[in-house]
Amino acid sequence: MAGNELSNKIRRLRFENGEMTQQQLADRAGVTRQTIIAIEAGKCAPSLPLAFRIAQTFKVPIEAVFQYQDEEA
Amino acid sequence: MNKTKAESWICFPLGLLCFLIPSVVAVFIAYDRGISPAPVLMFTGIVVWGGLFWLFPFIEKKVRKGQKKVSFDERDQLIHKKAVMVAYVALWLYFVAACVITWCIVGPHGSISVNVMPLTLIGGLVIFTSVQGLASLIQYGWGGKDGGK
Repeated sequence: MAGNELSNKIRRLRFENGEMTQQQLADRAGVTRQTIIAIEAGKCAPSLPLAFRIAQTFKVPIEAVFQYQDEEA
Repeated sequence: MNKTKAESWICFPLGLLCFLIPSVVAVFIAYDRGISPAPVLMFTGIVVWGGLFWLFPFIEKKVRKGQKKVSFDERDQLIHKKAVMVAYVALWLYFVAACVITWCIVGPHGSISVNVMPLTLIGGLVIFTSVQGLASLIQYGWGGKDGGK
């Protein structure tokens, strides 16, 4: 995802939140299911507002959903 | 398959059909009436292309009226923007090539038929539509049911 710098735990959080489906998460985040699929698979990076909406859906901080790994570090 | 990808699947072959259908009509009319096929091709091409692409969103909006499901989000918007950019690049390259090749064939003192301009316009429409659809599909990854790979 974005040069392997950004990873996420969306899939695990979905299962921990009552086995939420991708469609349910998409509805709550205001995007399409295909976008959630692409984000989970690391094919695209979400915008900041979308990242925050996803974190608010799971009621966790944004760092618990998305992790940034600096390649140089 | 979301709305944008469905439109891309329609745009790509439809752009080609917008050339084939008017071509067949133009050849038929030209053969039947003995007139030049170029203006017929231009007219039918613009009618078919304009009718399909200007009416399609209107009809699609009426059909989807009342649907609350999100069908176009930020990712679709980014993909659409990049696809349009690629299509415009292809369009400019096509027009430059058309001008340069024509000049190379007829030379600086030659002349071309007046029908070349409408044919060039139709070609530009086909190029733009097909390239935009193709670029969208490539970005979506030719996805299957889920639209992702």
